[in-house]
Amino acid sequence: MSAATESQPTADREPYAGDLLTAEGVSKIFGGLVAVNEVTFAIPTRSIVSIIGPNGAGKTTFFNMLTGLYKPTFGRISFSGKDITGMRPDRITASGVARTFQNIRLFGTMSALENVLVGQHSRMRAGLVGSVLRTPRTRREEKAVREKARETLAYVGLRPSSFDQLAINLAYGDQRRVEIARALASDPVLLLLDEPTAGMNPQESAALTDFMRKLRDERDLTILLIEHDMKVVMGVSEKVTVLDHGEKIAEGEPAAVRDNQRVIEAYLGKQGAAE
Amino acid sequence: MKAWANKWGLIVVLLALPVYYGIKDLADTGSLSHLGQNLLAGLSNGSIWALIAVGYTLVYGIIELINFAHGDVFMIGSFVTAGLFGTIGLGLTSGPLGIGFGLLAILLIAMVTCGVLNVMIERVAYRPLRSAPKLAPLITAVGFSFILQNVGLLWLGGSPASVPDLIHAQQDVFTVFGITVQRADLLAFAVTIPLVAAMTIFIARTKLGKAMRATAQDPDAARLMGINVDTTISLTFLIGGMLAGAAGLIYALYQTTIWFFQGFQAGLIAFTAAVMGGIGNIRGAVLGGLIIGCIQQISDNRIGTQWTPAIVFAYLILIMVFRPQGLLGEETREAG
Amino acid sequence: MSAAAAPAARRTSRVSSPPPWANKGLAVLVALLAIMLPLFFDPISGFIDDAVVALAYVIMALGLNVVVGFAGLLDLGYVAFFAIGAFTTGWFMSGFYVDANIHILTSGPVGTLPGIHLNFIFVLVIAAFLCALAGTLIGLPTLRLRGDYIAIVTLAFGEIIRVFAVNGDTISIAHGAKLTGGRQGITPVDQVKLPFLDPFTQLNLRPWYWFVLALVFIVLFVVIRLRDSRMGRAWIAIREDEVAAASMGVPLVKTKLLAYTVGGAIGGVAGAFLAAYLNTVNADQFAFSFSIFVLAMVILGGLGSVWGVVLGAVLLSFINNRLIPDVLDSVPGKLGLNFNLTDLGFGIFGFLLVIVMILRPEGLLPERRRQLELHEGIDSGESVFEARV
Repeated sequence: MSAATESQPTADREPYAGDLLTAEGVSKIFGGLVAVNEVTFAIPTRSIVSIIGPNGAGKTTFFNMLTGLYKPTFGRISFSGKDITGMRPDRITASGVARTFQNIRLFGTMSALENVLVGQHSRMRAGLVGSVLRTPRTRREEKAVREKARETLAYVGLRPSSFDQLAINLAYGDQRRVEIARALASDPVLLLLDEPTAGMNPQESAALTDFMRKLRDERDLTILLIEHDMKVVMGVSEKVTVLDHGEKIAEGEPAAVRDNQRVIEAYLGKQGAAE
Repeated sequence: MKAWANKWGLIVVLLALPVYYGIKDLADTGSLSHLGQNLLAGLSNGSIWALIAVGYTLVYGIIELINFAHGDVFMIGSFVTAGLFGTIGLGLTSGPLGIGFGLLAILLIAMVTCGVLNVMIERVAYRPLRSAPKLAPLITAVGFSFILQNVGLLWLGGSPASVPDLIHAQQDVFTVFGITVQRADLLAFAVTIPLVAAMTIFIARTKLGKAMRATAQDPDAARLMGINVDTTISLTFLIGGMLAGAAGLIYALYQTTIWFFQGFQAGLIAFTAAVMGGIGNIRGAVLGGLIIGCIQQISDNRIGTQWTPAIVFAYLILIMVFRPQGLLGEETREAG
Repeated sequence: MSAAAAPAARRTSRVSSPPPWANKGLAVLVALLAIMLPLFFDPISGFIDDAVVALAYVIMALGLNVVVGFAGLLDLGYVAFFAIGAFTTGWFMSGFYVDANIHILTSGPVGTLPGIHLNFIFVLVIAAFLCALAGTLIGLPTLRLRGDYIAIVTLAFGEIIRVFAVNGDTISIAHGAKLTGGRQGITPVDQVKLPFLDPFTQLNLRPWYWFVLALVFIVLFVVIRLRDSRMGRAWIAIREDEVAAASMGVPLVKTKLLAYTVGGAIGGVAGAFLAAYLNTVNADQFAFSFSIFVLAMVILGGLGSVWGVVLGAVLLSFINNRLIPDVLDSVPGKLGLNFNLTDLGFGIFGFLLVIVMILRPEGLLPERRRQLELHEGIDSGESVFEARV
């Protein structure tokens, strides 16, 4: 364990007994539009779970509620036994939930390393005075944090020569890696990945799938995916939840969901399903 | 719930001044005619702000940009108006018919000049920066504001200049309920009401007006439907500028004093009005203008002209913080 | 991810380019030149006078750079901090409050005069503190607003403060004492007397110069250290994409407020200094155009770029105080035109703003990254926000 994580209280490292995250009757209504309708959902600790559904099903809206970007109109969300409904996003991150974005949202004018350093913001203590005076504690923390950032970037597979490259200049696949590294930087217990394989070819997707298993096994992470790539979903998920028009229409093991009539109809339309 | 409270809170805060002084007047003199006089002046002044505010709101609605130079376009309108008096040969000795037609002609010229000026500013300062971060066009707008102010400064000098009182602005016309209506008031309403009506009909009924509304809602969809977005934007600036020019004429005749700095002050007041009514909402801009005019008059008359700017700006800050969508705007979506 | 990123990828690579010792060497050289500069001029030369004012503006620009450049919060009311800083000097270092009789660490004739008389160092500290507080208060309403709305709200605050400055001579605070000196202002201000040194006078501008240069060094030190720290990264992250920043654990409210606090405090120090140097605090100094003037320095130099902002401040100060009024003033007359160049001051300035924004929005010495960000957006015709989101 590096010094950076020691200095800041992180989420409990003992695997949480019971479901790590639960959402009960969560709804989101924008004006007249019901984007998410009474979804109840649970993620078992140390599992890899997926949410799938046709476009516009409300997956990202639901995600955004879990991470605090939207406040649920109704319902309750708990993480590690703590109620996080409507909590500010930075507080949720500090509690141990990290995420990546569907369209990569790296800080374009910062280097890959600096992006990951920002990810550690909630795990650092340096304040104004310490930063200006460069007290020994601040210097130690900065050194440890940079070390950890490099480790994390290497862990996700970025070449060291790219560490100081501007994020906006990196190849697409590398940008995805940096996004994940940035999310890992806050030492999360729960990792939310929004369409992580978008734009990847089959080899890259397979590599990411293996990587997710590695994260679960080596770092005790629990992972929630939004995905469109069925191979990835079927290959790595222990549980799949299907949303359509903001509602949960199916849930269970990947094989069962795949053969579920309602799910097929949702994706292909009733005509297609009948064929 | 919170939105409801904010909306009514805003209305209460807006009513605070008139209600307070209304009660005070009743207690002191038993009559509301003083307050009524304030409100009349507020409405006629406010109609000037309304015209300028519509310009702000139209532009913001279509390209989400605060046209910082808009107030100074209004100032140019006043200057053009005053300048044309001499050119056309209008003076205090001209007969009423001459003044009537003369002013009509000047109104048209001022409106066209300011409309074209506004379009030109869009072309030079905003269009090249459409895809730049929002800071960029805001800065060029400020730059143009300064350029226009300098034009005014060179034109008539640094001190307020007086304008011939062609319509005898202060002359009483009639009195009702103890409130005296002056020629200046009638001028303001006579110019504003038809213009606002004409513009509303234009936007609601004509093809170009519909194009403006479509572009304001969703520029990409509008483009796909075959609407020429660039032309539509220019048209929006043209209309906004024309209204500012008209406001300039009213102001020159109403106040009989013009000043290179009047645009900066008017701009901020009119912008407050636009925000108060709901930015992007034309009815809101008009409503906001009238309300701000009343607040301003009450403040000028009862508290002191030197404090009015602070009071108007305090209202602006309150609105921005507690109800940025103004009175008639809708709650906006959260960030995501 | 948009295709616009691909061509840019070939353009530049690493964030750091020249070796660190080259940059440091250059900085030391410039610093030495700056220190020795007044020795080449007469102690009361106009050049040193301009230089002192320019350096005060450098401090202002560095402070505004924290708010606008680092954190991306468009502040159009920075004059508020100039005013509050200046008033701190006016209140606590003059005979304005004649009924009070407070003296702290003063010496010489001032020690017997009525009024509140604090040592200049105290005044600077109090100015920083009051402006830090003001910064927080001004920042609070802007927290959830979009960029252009932040501009308007901060502008409104600046104007409100100006109104109070102008009319403060009608507001009584206690025992008949007024808030400000109104248009006439508070003047004169005490002599600046630092420990172990002779008092500063208007006959020898060199000590003023060295003092403000020392302040510049201190502010530079603070700002650079902050930029390269956890807080600096948080600010830049907020500027880039505040939603992503919040999702990474950056607390938006606290971080934005700190930008206003730090930026405001720096402005306050410069304001307090200028009040002492100019020997007056009057409301006419606090117009909106001042806010734009400082903003222009930041933009001309390069938003977010510390050295760029220094350059921008020096250049604009020189153009405004020397080039236009003294050197070029009579040029239009010589061309047969009926006015002086100073009459065009506003317009030239506005023109400059437009030109810079259209031709070189990243400024003279851009924060290297910014160049990419801005040009990508303008050249490719694609929204910069699309590329990022």
